[in-house]
Amino acid sequence: MIEVNNITKKFGRKQVLKGVTFTAEKGEITCLIGINGVGKTTILNAIMALTPIKKGEILIDGEKLKPKTFNHITFIPDAITVLPQMTITESMQFMKDYYTTWNEERAQELLSFFKLNPEDKIASLSKGNTAKANLLLGLALDVDYILMDEPFSGIDMFSREQIANVFTSHLIEDRGVIITTHEIGDIEHLIDKVVLLDDGVVKKHFYTEEVREAEGKSVIDVMREEYQG
Amino acid sequence: MKINFNRREPVYVQVVRHFKQQIAMNMLEPGQEIPSRRELAGELKINPNTVQRAYKEMEEQGLIYTERNLPSKITRNEQVLQVVREELIMDAVDQFVTTVQSVQVPLDEIVTIIKEKYEQTNADKGEEDHD
Amino acid sequence: MKSYFRLTEFELGRFFKFYLVLIGLTIVSQIIGVIAVSKEYMQEANEAIYQDGLSKQAFMDQRGLISLLDWTNSIWFLAPIALCVVTLLIYMFFIWYRDWLGKNTFIYRLLMLPTQRIHLFFAKATTIFIMVLGLVALQVFLIYIAGIVLEWMVPNEFMQTMGVSEVSVASQYVNTILPATFTEFVLYYGTGFMFVCIFFTAILIERSYRWKGLLFAIGYVAVATAVFMSLIFLSMEWGLFSLYPLEWLILQIIIGIIVTASSIFLSYYLLTKKITV
Repeated sequence: MIEVNNITKKFGRKQVLKGVTFTAEKGEITCLIGINGVGKTTILNAIMALTPIKKGEILIDGEKLKPKTFNHITFIPDAITVLPQMTITESMQFMKDYYTTWNEERAQELLSFFKLNPEDKIASLSKGNTAKANLLLGLALDVDYILMDEPFSGIDMFSREQIANVFTSHLIEDRGVIITTHEIGDIEHLIDKVVLLDDGVVKKHFYTEEVREAEGKSVIDVMREEYQG
Repeated sequence: MKINFNRREPVYVQVVRHFKQQIAMNMLEPGQEIPSRRELAGELKINPNTVQRAYKEMEEQGLIYTERNLPSKITRNEQVLQVVREELIMDAVDQFVTTVQSVQVPLDEIVTIIKEKYEQTNADKGEEDHD
Repeated sequence: MKSYFRLTEFELGRFFKFYLVLIGLTIVSQIIGVIAVSKEYMQEANEAIYQDGLSKQAFMDQRGLISLLDWTNSIWFLAPIALCVVTLLIYMFFIWYRDWLGKNTFIYRLLMLPTQRIHLFFAKATTIFIMVLGLVALQVFLIYIAGIVLEWMVPNEFMQTMGVSEVSVASQYVNTILPATFTEFVLYYGTGFMFVCIFFTAILIERSYRWKGLLFAIGYVAVATAVFMSLIFLSMEWGLFSLYPLEWLILQIIIGIIVTASSIFLSYYLLTKKITV
């Protein structure tokens, strides 16, 4: 379980996170929703110790993040994180060199799943294919937790569909996933849990099926209530 | 398999209903294997945990059964199948009655219309393969 | 440890093409230089002897013998060195900033490697250091080669033969990059390494606190330099110390090590707790 406990963060004078608390369990897809600039990416960065937090605490399976933890949790930012001059094969080799949890078999499977050409240079890939290569590098690690920042934004419809397919496949099975999005539409039925963020705090934290069952509301209904009500 | 989901109703409930309809319409036959949780999740593009929940529900209602590690199958229990059929008919009739009652049509008139419609659709059967 | 070596190899690889260009330019320029300098000298000699009717001896007395020093004082020799120095100084900053400012924000990947982040610091410092040492080694080799070329180009009677260490003693420029004794060499380059660490720390301060950090970073460089120079200040300005040279040296080395260690420690802290992508 990833526990985010009351974290706060300031950028200059602007307080972006004012005490954010939520959990993300293994085997579930947790979705951080909020309008742009609400601090979703900052939360993911903070979990990965890519930016310091002012107060609060983040625990991964009960422990603070250590260098070794990066073999068990991975973050797929919204831009690809290998060098543009690398080919896909080279970037896979780079990952393999450093991560003990790199799963070559799965990497190969993802290559064909996404129909990527391993000899292509990262810089030459289309937006959609870059997003897929980015996803490949993260998903091919045998990690317990995967964080994804806006995996669906800014790419073509077919790439979106392919990426959505990942979520229902064994590639995600039993892992804990946190994804961020500013538009829930496409993925409403893919996620287990929603963390609604607004103005630096968690407005609501709920399981989608529970809200549908108990209140007869869609995720968008809840968002409308919270943001406009 | 394709379902148009309603966003305001639990997805697992909609999956169960869909299976019941398929069973009642004989699209799924007694003893037929159903897709694995992952296959179905992929097909419907929904969360595998939701499919899991739907299968659990169907198992509890006796709609499907699982032997050892084999894929789950549609029940062969005639009684259960009969209940599903009745349930579905009742649902449809309930809905129909509510709609029709709100327009305040006398029962006789409705029954006549239903009979005509029924005969007409049976006659057109050849063309009507889609839904 | 394995990650450190891998990262170092990787960092070397990232700059290698550029580095080869630097090496190539240095070789070309310095070899052309030794030829040009020799030709010029021989032309002067020919003009003096055949046109002005000077005797060989008179020319040599007047002009002096040619030696490698004529070459090391020429633009052909100095320009590529200056280019290398400037390039590596810039690269010392670029080696970090390229990971943040590049199109693909490679810093995410680097900071998420399952290894101590200080290895990034060491790998980058090692890379700079290896490149510097590589260029120094190249320079030694080129001085040696230039000596041979000079012998081909100029009749022996006009020439004052010099070895690499003699050149180093005699030329102020060469002495700066290539001190004559091993101890000096270690001290020079040890100091160099310390300054790489100080600048790296300054970069990490800026990267951790951004605009506010820029001031801290400049302050840090100033303070670290002042601490390193404190002995010189104290002894020169106030004459507080009357130390034997060896004592002075040892104290200076200890201060240098302390400054380097503090930089590394501070960088470790920044990389684990404060760095931001």
